[in-house]
Amino acid sequence: MTLYLQACGAVLLTAILVLTLKHNNSEIGTVLAIFACCMVALAAMHYLEPVVDFLQALEDLGGLDRNMTATLLKAAGIGMVTEIAGLVCKDAGNESLGKVMQLLGTSVILWLSMPLLTALIELLQKILGEL
Amino acid sequence: MDIDLVFKIAAIGIIVSILNQVLSRSGRDEQATMTTLAGLVVVLMMLAQKIADLFDLVKALFKF
Repeated sequence: MTLYLQACGAVLLTAILVLTLKHNNSEIGTVLAIFACCMVALAAMHYLEPVVDFLQALEDLGGLDRNMTATLLKAAGIGMVTEIAGLVCKDAGNESLGKVMQLLGTSVILWLSMPLLTALIELLQKILGEL
Repeated sequence: MDIDLVFKIAAIGIIVSILNQVLSRSGRDEQATMTTLAGLVVVLMMLAQKIADLFDLVKALFKF
């Protein structure tokens, strides 16, 4: 909980510092914003650690295939990193870079989920073949 | 969460902008540009380490 409050304070402070730096030195202001994003994302990842452990416990309990949940986790990670990078690009005044970053993230997630989709289609073919 | 680095970067930014103003007022525009560039590089070096930390943690957490 302390980490959360610290992160809130840090974000507010960073917003004010970036505003201060905006007129004279906007590059370092952008770097400061990226830095604060990194710090807060690191804090968020620390909170997510037990959640991921719990997901694995659930997976063991239900006897699920490792590959399925691994893909899900990877997609979540890629989504987070892409969103942060895209929003920072947008803030820095380069919206096209942000959009391209999001496009890349979406494509990578789709590419990652290809084995799952292939497995689904194979399963459907098997079921339909048995009918 | 080390907030010190945020302050450090903000301080570098403010110092660099003051230096930039002083140098450009005294007619040394090239040196002002070089100062801004040097400040940016210093701050980027600090940032690179943190980004690497974040990516390492994401890789470890989401089992890449």
